[in-house]
Amino acid sequence: MPRLTLHYYALLREQAGRSSETVETGARTPAALYAELAARHRFRLSAAQLQVAVNGAFSGFDRALEDGDEVVFIPPVAGG
Amino acid sequence: MSAFWISRDPIDATALAAPLARPDSGGFASFEGRVRNHHEGRAVTALDYEAFESLAVAEGERIVAEALGRHGALEARCVHRVGRLAVGEVAVWVGVSAPHRAEAFAACRAIIEAVKHRLPIWKKEHYADGDSGWVNCEHARTAAPAPFDYSRQLALPEVGAEGQARLAAARVLVVGAGGLGCAVLASLAGAGVGEITVMDPDRVEASNLHRQPLFAAADVGRPKAEAAAERLRAYNPDVAVRAAVARFDGATADERVASADVVVDCTDNFSAKFRVNDAAMRAGVPAVLASVYQYEGQLQVVRADRGGSCLRCQWPEATRDGLVGNCEQAGVLGPVPAVLGQLQAMEVLKLLLGLPGQLGNEVLLVDLLAAGQRRLAAPRDPRCAGGCIRIADAAAARAPETLDIEMPLEAAAAAGYRIVDIREPMECAFEPLPVSGQQSLPLGRLLDGALAVEPQQRYLLVCAHGVRSHAAAEFLRARGHPNVWSLQGGLAGQAR
Repeated sequence: MPRLTLHYYALLREQAGRSSETVETGARTPAALYAELAARHRFRLSAAQLQVAVNGAFSGFDRALEDGDEVVFIPPVAGG
Repeated sequence: MSAFWISRDPIDATALAAPLARPDSGGFASFEGRVRNHHEGRAVTALDYEAFESLAVAEGERIVAEALGRHGALEARCVHRVGRLAVGEVAVWVGVSAPHRAEAFAACRAIIEAVKHRLPIWKKEHYADGDSGWVNCEHARTAAPAPFDYSRQLALPEVGAEGQARLAAARVLVVGAGGLGCAVLASLAGAGVGEITVMDPDRVEASNLHRQPLFAAADVGRPKAEAAAERLRAYNPDVAVRAAVARFDGATADERVASADVVVDCTDNFSAKFRVNDAAMRAGVPAVLASVYQYEGQLQVVRADRGGSCLRCQWPEATRDGLVGNCEQAGVLGPVPAVLGQLQAMEVLKLLLGLPGQLGNEVLLVDLLAAGQRRLAAPRDPRCAGGCIRIADAAAARAPETLDIEMPLEAAAAAGYRIVDIREPMECAFEPLPVSGQQSLPLGRLLDGALAVEPQQRYLLVCAHGVRSHAAAEFLRARGHPNVWSLQGGLAGQAR
C-alpha cells in the first residue's frame, strides 16, 4: 500500500494530537484519505472547509496520490 | 587632541582633514557651513559670531563623542569660527572618518545638526543697507529631537540612500492594530516608511496588552488607531501617521486602498480578511495578509498588481467566522502574532525596495512550536480572470432561496459542491464537463428519485443552458432538500 507523509496544522493538529505522521493507506485521493483520517482522529471540519497541498503545492481533493507523497491538510485560520 | 574647538582664524579645511586620514577608515565625509550673501530676502555683507566659549567647547566635545558612538564612526573634528566673517568664509567645519561611507555621512550630519541646535553661539548679520541684527539663535530650541538614524539599514547594499528615499516616499495602509498590526507598524515606522495609515474600529482592552506592545496599560479604553498613531509619531517623527478609527468597509475603505502602495491585513476575522483581499484586488494594489492560530500562522502576499492568486483562489467561498477559533476563543502566545507581523513587515519592505525572494502565489505556513516553515505553491485558479471578485460578489449577493448560481465549475467543486450533470448520456459524451469528480444522472432518473441526497452536502446541478437544472433544483427543493442549486447558464454559460 502507498506510504504517505502527513502534516497537520492548527485545529487539525490539535484534534490529531500530532503535527505529522506516516500512514500506509489504500486511499487513492486526498478526499478518500481525509475521510479515513477524519474517522480515525475525529476531525470536526469537513473536507469542503479545508485546503490540501500535495508535495508543496495546493491541489484538488480528487488528484491521485502516489507512494511517498507528502500531504498537508490546512484548515482556515483567522486570528490576528 | 580635542575634537571640538573655537577658532578666531580662518578655517583651513585641508589642514583639518589631513590628521583624520587613517588606515582603518574607508570613508571620510566633511561639511562646511559658509557665510551666505542673503537672509530672508535681504542682502548680507558680513556676519559676527559670538560664543559662550567654555560651554560651547564642552558641549561640542559631547556632540562629537555622541555622534561617533551612535553612528559607528572612528574619529571626528569640528571647528566653529567666531568674530567677523565675510561672505563665502567657512563658519563651521566638520570632518568624520568611518569604516564605510554610510557611517561617515550619518555622523557628519548628526554633528552639524546638533551644533546648530545645541551650542551657545550667536550670529549677527550685517546687511547691505547698513542695518544689522541678531538672528536665528537655533540653539535656543534645545528640545529639537535628534534625527532618526537609518545608518544600519542604509549600510545594506540593496537599500542605500536610493532605497531609503523609496521608503520615505511610500504609503502603507495597515488594517487592524492587534498583535499582527503592532509588529507591522513598529517595523515599518522604524524603517522610515513615509506615510502609514492605521485603521481599527476597536478600543484597547487589557487582554490585548500581552501581545500588543504599542499600547501601555494606561491606554486601555482608548481607540487603538489613535493610541498606536501617537506612539508611532513619538517613536519616529519622520513618519506621517494617520489614524482611522473605523471599520474597513465600503467606499472609504476602497479609496484608502487605492491611495496606498501596499495594504497590510492584520485583522482577526474572515469577513474582514476577505474585504481587504477584495478591495486590494479591485484596486490592483498588493496586499500582505496574515492570520494566526495559537502557535501557528499563515502568510500570503496577494500581487493584485500582477494578477496573482488571492485569498479566494485558496478559499473560493468566503470561509465563515466561527468555524475555527480566533485569539479570544483559542488563545495565543504573544510572539506568534509578533513573528507573523514581522514576516509581513519584511514582505512589505521587500515589495517597496524590490528585494529578491518575495512571496507570490504562495502561502507560507509557520509553526512556532515545531520552529518550522513550509512554503506552498498556491497558483491562481486557472479559470479566474478577475473572477475572484465575481465569485465573491455572487456568493455575497446570493439569498438562501436563490436557486440559480453562477460560478466556475472548478470553483464550485473546490468550494465543496457536489456537481451533478443531469444531461443525457449522449450530451455528456459529446461535451464532458470541464471538471472532474462529478456525478452523472440524467434528469429523468433524477425525477424518479434516483439522487440519494445527503442532508449536509450541497449540490450543484448542471445542464446545457441552465433550464433543466433549474427545474430539477425546484423539484428537489420542493421535496425538502434546501442545499440544491442550479448552475445559471449551464455549461454554455461557462464558456463565456
